[in-house]
Amino acid sequence: MKNPTIFLVFAAFVLAASFQPASAEGGNLLIKNGTILTVTQGIIAKGDILILNGIIRQIGENINPPAGVKVIEASGKFVLPGIIDSHTHIALAGTNEGSEAITPEADVGAVINADDTAILTALSGGVTMAHTMHGSANPIGGPNVVLKMKWGKPSEDLVVTEALRTLKFALGENVKQSSRTILPGGPPPRYPQTRMGVNAIMRREFLRAQNYMAAWDRYNKLKASKIPPKILLPPRRDLRLEVLADLLRGKMVARCHDYQATEALEFIGLAKEFGFKIAAFEHAWEAYKIADELAGEKIGISVFADSWAYKMEAAEGIAYDAGYCAKKGVLVSINSDSGERIRRLFNDASKTMKYGGLSENEALSLITINPAIQLGVDRIVGSLEVGKQADIAIFNEHPMSAYARCDMTIIDGDAYFDRAALLREREEAAKKAEVAKKGGRP
Amino acid sequence: MTKRCWILLLIVILAAGFISGQTKTAKITAIRGAKIIPVVGEDLDVGTILIKDGKIEAIGKDISIPAGAEIVEAKGWRAYPGMIDSYAFLGLQEITGVNETVDNRETGRMNPQVRAVEALRYDSMHIPIARSNGITAALVAPAGGVIAGQSVLIKLDGWTNREMVVKNPAAMQIEFPGIRGARGGGGGGSGQRGAAAADAGRLIAELKDLFTKARFYEKRKNYAAKTLTLALPEFDETAEFLLPVVKGQTPVMISVHADRDIRAAIQFVKEENLKAIFFGAEQGWKVADDLKKAEIPVIIGSLYDLPPVWDDGYDQLFLNPVVMNKAGVKIAFASVSATMAKDLPYHAAKAAAFGLDKKEALKAVTIYPAEIFGVEKLMGSLEKGKTANIVLSDGDILETRTNIQKVFIDGKECDLSNRYTELLEKFKKRS
Amino acid sequence: MPKSARPLIMLTILALGALAWTSPADVGPTYAIRNAKIVPVAGPVVEKGILIIRDGLIESVGPSDKIAIPEDAEVIEAAGMAAYPGLISAHTHLLLEEPAAPAGGAQQVPSITLPGAAQPNTPAGTPDVLAFGLLKPKKSTLDSFLRAGFTTVLVAPNRGIIQGQSVVVDLNGEDPEPMVVKNPAALHINFTTNRGGYPSSLMGTIAYIRQSFLDAEGYALAQAVYAKNLKGMKRPVFNPFLEALRPYVRDKKPVVFQCNNVEDIKRALKIVDEFKLNAMLSHVNEAWRDASVLKKTPIPLLVTLDFRPPSGSLFVNQGEDLRKKAEAEIYPANPSNLAKEGIAFALTTFGLNDGSTALKNIQSAIKAGLSPEQALRALTIQPAQYLGLAAQLGSLEPGKIANVILAKGEIFDEKTQIDKVFVDGILWKF
Repeated sequence: MKNPTIFLVFAAFVLAASFQPASAEGGNLLIKNGTILTVTQGIIAKGDILILNGIIRQIGENINPPAGVKVIEASGKFVLPGIIDSHTHIALAGTNEGSEAITPEADVGAVINADDTAILTALSGGVTMAHTMHGSANPIGGPNVVLKMKWGKPSEDLVVTEALRTLKFALGENVKQSSRTILPGGPPPRYPQTRMGVNAIMRREFLRAQNYMAAWDRYNKLKASKIPPKILLPPRRDLRLEVLADLLRGKMVARCHDYQATEALEFIGLAKEFGFKIAAFEHAWEAYKIADELAGEKIGISVFADSWAYKMEAAEGIAYDAGYCAKKGVLVSINSDSGERIRRLFNDASKTMKYGGLSENEALSLITINPAIQLGVDRIVGSLEVGKQADIAIFNEHPMSAYARCDMTIIDGDAYFDRAALLREREEAAKKAEVAKKGGRP
Repeated sequence: MTKRCWILLLIVILAAGFISGQTKTAKITAIRGAKIIPVVGEDLDVGTILIKDGKIEAIGKDISIPAGAEIVEAKGWRAYPGMIDSYAFLGLQEITGVNETVDNRETGRMNPQVRAVEALRYDSMHIPIARSNGITAALVAPAGGVIAGQSVLIKLDGWTNREMVVKNPAAMQIEFPGIRGARGGGGGGSGQRGAAAADAGRLIAELKDLFTKARFYEKRKNYAAKTLTLALPEFDETAEFLLPVVKGQTPVMISVHADRDIRAAIQFVKEENLKAIFFGAEQGWKVADDLKKAEIPVIIGSLYDLPPVWDDGYDQLFLNPVVMNKAGVKIAFASVSATMAKDLPYHAAKAAAFGLDKKEALKAVTIYPAEIFGVEKLMGSLEKGKTANIVLSDGDILETRTNIQKVFIDGKECDLSNRYTELLEKFKKRS
Repeated sequence: MPKSARPLIMLTILALGALAWTSPADVGPTYAIRNAKIVPVAGPVVEKGILIIRDGLIESVGPSDKIAIPEDAEVIEAAGMAAYPGLISAHTHLLLEEPAAPAGGAQQVPSITLPGAAQPNTPAGTPDVLAFGLLKPKKSTLDSFLRAGFTTVLVAPNRGIIQGQSVVVDLNGEDPEPMVVKNPAALHINFTTNRGGYPSSLMGTIAYIRQSFLDAEGYALAQAVYAKNLKGMKRPVFNPFLEALRPYVRDKKPVVFQCNNVEDIKRALKIVDEFKLNAMLSHVNEAWRDASVLKKTPIPLLVTLDFRPPSGSLFVNQGEDLRKKAEAEIYPANPSNLAKEGIAFALTTFGLNDGSTALKNIQSAIKAGLSPEQALRALTIQPAQYLGLAAQLGSLEPGKIANVILAKGEIFDEKTQIDKVFVDGILWKF
């Protein structure tokens, strides 16, 4: 190693940055003089937000800092709710159980990876919360989990327990493995290989789950009866069917990856047939074709702004999809589905102003309060309101401007990303390196 | 017929041609009332642009509009030069995951003979979408291998691929390896970083070898042409198509990424006396002074990507153009896409968010690419004599919320309908 | 020593002689290691002592002036040397020769074969596979580890998720049968995936493990009910997979979970709690990151001396400099960090294939803050206790198996050479 000093300094800086929050103030902060975009309660041109113990206690003008509370000067900056990405695959040790078609026993909540640097990438883009999910290898994938992007904390501290329990479904090309080549001597194609097979296999599993629930009901009745039978063995406990039973009982909601209009409509039919709730369609590139149906059924969509034309079922995905559906009364969120795009979600949301004619605040809603509602966490996050958790992002420009940049990301009142501090550290590391190069002489 | 009749006939024919030419080219368009941002020169708060024969006839505050001119009322709008995408796959990709519709990557390492223009699908659905966002020209490049082929500069308007050509070939595309130990950059999907397999040094040696071979090949061909007894060399496709590069007629665009490789590429370009443009240069900020000294312009790769080297910082890709621009390197932005070509201005805005001067950001999608590709006399700014590639917008064209109102290419107003609007209109009819 | 103690000592020797009944076939050499510094681990250090080995066991140990050398003993002059208990590595994959194609072994038969269910080529779980049946000891491996002072290792099968049952062996030769100290030792489970089959993802693996234990519980229940209702109940279908799991689920025999990173530890603890298993966690080279959890739910830890950071760790994917620092400084400090937190553990050579690397890594751990005494305990009495072998191994006490190492210098010192090794009372010939 050429210069151990530089290495040590750099390593110390990187090590320090690598697993501590940028600042840990115990959740007490006063943000001052920023333009506050509450999303749900208007804009305060020059306002303050007081946070105590991670909760927003006060929003207004000229708030006096209580003793010991760190002040963050936000003059000239924009203060908005932390961005919520409603469809990602980050912070997980694996996203697909592709060996079989139906795998709801596989729960992403069991494989959280809090070491994933995608969390840092998310923070640098103002994202405070992510709904991280199964991929789209299965018609029925499994449960998903909602995480706060608390870099450096143990994985269990990231889980948002208030969120709705969601079950990932997928339809279309990915699920029927249309891009897979069948090699001679290799494993046979996995059923289903057509969209009709996809629906059939889901129906089969729902029927099996109903059977399972019935078998357990009968067993429980027998067990509780006045004279239970001499030999009484419980049915097999089947982790796979238990998850489906939860969906049918209303304890979970479906989040379904879909592209084509037909497959979405048919899935809505399945949901009606078996009595479960669809919270949102993912990607939904043809949602604009069935906007009325979606609005009528109160099913939301979680979509890209304009990443399209990468496969046949995305060939009719128009950039107006999100904006048009929003105007039609569909609950729309913009997602990233990418460890890279997650840091420019705000850029994507802003495109709906051009493609769809949404207002600034409507566009901002697509990445704040709307995904919060879809995930069932709108009581605790998604807007800047007194009583909500202090998940806040501070930008140098209005987030719907292409010139915007995230400067600070706060979760539960602690700053997990602080660009100014990062730049100061770089400067100091550079200065130390210079000094070291000159042999220690200033 | 008498001699006089012949002369009369001739005069009539010539006159007819002249007259019809006159009426064909007599149309003048006047864009009135817009705020004019010419990019070169001072902005005008309110002004008029006169277009004649497809060129900008005049720009100014108080321009008199000749009678019979078609007037485009642009009050409240802004007029910009049409933007130029410095590296795109427009016309070479329709559905990126469906190989049958993808033509930008030929197989094999050395393909100087392939020409992007010959595969350019002029009616790609992505071209009108880009055009309707104010992009009026693009460099369409093949990719892959070491020598990917010849790129072409096109205007985004034309009824055939050949009609779209502005400059062909624009450059010979060469690709150096990616940064060794770089992370995968998943999610960006720009495909701009090649596998870090080969060593740039070995690659340069190989290219020099090919160039030397090409020179000798030509020398031998010429000598043999003069001397019948001397055998002609065996036809060498690679040498044949490398000659314009070797002779300095066609510039090379070298896709290069790591700082060491950039230095090696600068050296290579100097030794071989090539006219060069660099593409990518993700670690160009580390060797910005070398780039400036060598006067090599840099096309910035897609900013929709993760930084290739973690230690360089989360914002490395965004700061890269800022640092190079401050050091005096000429930069230009690119979409590196077909499906996302319309996003060209937002890469520029992203760099501005991290410190690039906003005027420089605008230049990097207008006049700088024009200069880099040697077409600055034709486009890149709103100046008298240049082609009338003009964009009228209701705001800053680098802003995502801005709506493009009109696009003129070669003085003709373009149809702004596209795949997006067609499908939208169709399904609007449902309600 | 007071005069009155002598008859007591004679009695003890006679009593021990009575207890240690030996058949002629078991007669082995008798050694008297003389004038060594004796580190019994279970008691105070004896600066100048004698240790008597007879018929594979330690007969007596004590200060030189108190222990009489039997007339049939070969005397080993050990002045200037130190005697330690042979080291125990409580989790390895050494000495295995696994079949090229995965052999039989019961697989979990899905309760219903459906289209859409994959037919795996390799079994994800083979709980009935015994490591003993796969043993193929090679002298070169034995030499390598004996030279580093290891006399006892646990060998676990190396394939799949539910890998099978391990065996504890003394490194006394190339014939497996006399090596066995305990068989089976434990059931081994690894948080890996079954590529090419189900489960191919870690979340699938966790579901697979849980479903297997649920099915084993159901199976055990069915068997128990059947035993009481032999007349009148259709017998439960024999299932070798679930049969093999039964002792671990019903009789709480030990289960070892291989936890490859900070999260696996928590994943294992959840499963252990759900099924009330008698469990140990192995590998755990990131255990220090879970110190608070481990303090709240103490569990035996088999901490590996393999300091390579797991891929996906935040120390690995934030640049090369941090990764190098992690491997050189941060991970070797795992054992000392645990010791500082008061968390008990044994050290293993898991993942290391030769004794010299193991020794080097022990030295790294000591350099990073672990005391040599803590290291020695973690390689002797602690693993003996965890493996249920504290009566036979782990310290130099009369009656225990004579696994003894003689070192020229302090054990784990960089300059120290191991001079002699006794395994099961036999002097090993390198």
